[in-house]
Amino acid sequence: MSEPYLPAWSEVFADPRRGLRRSLRLRGVTRDWAWGGSTGAGVRVGIIDSGLENDHPQLHGRVVENVTVEMTDDGPRVVPDELRDLYGHGTACGAIILSLAPEVEIVSIRVLGADLRGKGTAFAAGLEWAIEQRLEVCNLSLSSKSESLYPVFHDLADRAYFQSTALISAANNVPAPSYPSLFSSVFSVAAHGEPDPWRLYYNPTPPVEFGAWGVDVPIAWKDGGSTVATGNSFAAPHVAGLVALILSKHPGLSPFEVKAILASVADNPGRRHPWRRRAVAAQ
Amino acid sequence: MADEAPDAALSALVAAARRSSVARRVQGDVETRLLQSIVEATVRLFDAEAASIALFESDPDRLEFRVAAGEKGAGAVGLTVPPTQGIAGYVYSTGQALALSDVATDPRFNRDAAEQTGYVPRSIAAAPLLDEHGTAGVLQVLDKRGSPTFSLRDMELLAVFAGQATVAIAAARVQRDTARLLRSVLTGLDPALAESGVEELVSRMTAGLDDEEETPFWRLVDQVARLRGLSDSETTLVADILEVVAAHAARSQRPRALR
Repeated sequence: MSEPYLPAWSEVFADPRRGLRRSLRLRGVTRDWAWGGSTGAGVRVGIIDSGLENDHPQLHGRVVENVTVEMTDDGPRVVPDELRDLYGHGTACGAIILSLAPEVEIVSIRVLGADLRGKGTAFAAGLEWAIEQRLEVCNLSLSSKSESLYPVFHDLADRAYFQSTALISAANNVPAPSYPSLFSSVFSVAAHGEPDPWRLYYNPTPPVEFGAWGVDVPIAWKDGGSTVATGNSFAAPHVAGLVALILSKHPGLSPFEVKAILASVADNPGRRHPWRRRAVAAQ
Repeated sequence: MADEAPDAALSALVAAARRSSVARRVQGDVETRLLQSIVEATVRLFDAEAASIALFESDPDRLEFRVAAGEKGAGAVGLTVPPTQGIAGYVYSTGQALALSDVATDPRFNRDAAEQTGYVPRSIAAAPLLDEHGTAGVLQVLDKRGSPTFSLRDMELLAVFAGQATVAIAAARVQRDTARLLRSVLTGLDPALAESGVEELVSRMTAGLDDEEETPFWRLVDQVARLRGLSDSETTLVADILEVVAAHAARSQRPRALR
């Protein structure tokens, strides 16, 4: 793992021994304590993406609602969605989350696909709806570059944070501003290349705070299919799955508390922690 | 409303618009040449079968493949795909880079667009061309020869090339979109100016600058463009001749707007 050139968003995760040392270990906060025995039951996870294929075998019938954002003269409106996943991407994210937390309920909020006009606005409207539904977790494997939407997303991210809706956001792959993926109130995630869905890094040098598997990930794809893909889009759902597991076992935790738990159980190299080895074995 | 703009500012803008149009005509399609060089570098560095750049165009919304390189790339140029579908569409819509490693082994992969290019890839890596307005297009690489998959390093390199392409497009479009530039300048100068007033001023400033027209003026510009291949002494000779012609023209008639 010492390649000469590495991505801006992931390089810190490529050599954990160098960039990821940190000392936080909360005594008693182990993986076993955090999510041992949890299935994600009772947690609703919103996926703001390209829609989900309800009957995809890897989604195991866990999609409980499909909505989309319709752009009307009076502004965006959230309505029931008839369309399938046009890309496969939303389905891929859903299947990753279910592979970690098999009993979550998934809510598909489609903001991509049929009509690209006002897509940033549609994204914001979809996110606002998810917050109004008080979903416990929301996966955002997309972001907006629109300067004009900066305050809108900032406000939404704060509202989510204050009401304890965890927003899990894929970092963009270029070091440029994108919203809301770089706000401090979201769980910003980039990819690492170790083929282990449970391997998690905490990055002490934000804006990207967490690293999860995002290289050559086997994913569900459109029309009941599957493929292998690389992208931060597929790292974020791994963290969304872990967050769902934690919130299922410890309902009502705030995003701040969940982040502290993730940091404490992360695979960063550091002091020896006998309790952590037991926790990993329990996995 | 149009008459309220100061004459001096107006004529300066007209002159700027004319210089921009002439420069574009003399230099040829800078955008395409820059983008072509970027996909060629991409193909070489990745040792890939093909690389291409698709740019977003509206009315109707589509991604249009402008340039391609590599042994299997040629078929993509000119192809348009809906921005709502496929790998390119996804990357365009989300602004997120994506690499798929075995697209063609999946029997359900939607291969219509790929087949139109005459080449169906096994693997694709695609990165968005992100500018300050959003996503301008998508850079794609098909099938690295040395490896069935794309690494994190590949994605970073792709992002670097995508960044170059974005800069190239932005630089070339300042020239191409003279009218858009004028519109933004006018609106900035006088926020109270109504849309119809802006349009009227822009059309007055750009009158005669449509380089699709084959007027004598553009023929002259084309001839000048051809002079770039000449040696210094030959160019000096042509300049001397033109000077004499221009001096003669100035004596024999009053100056008119160049057409």
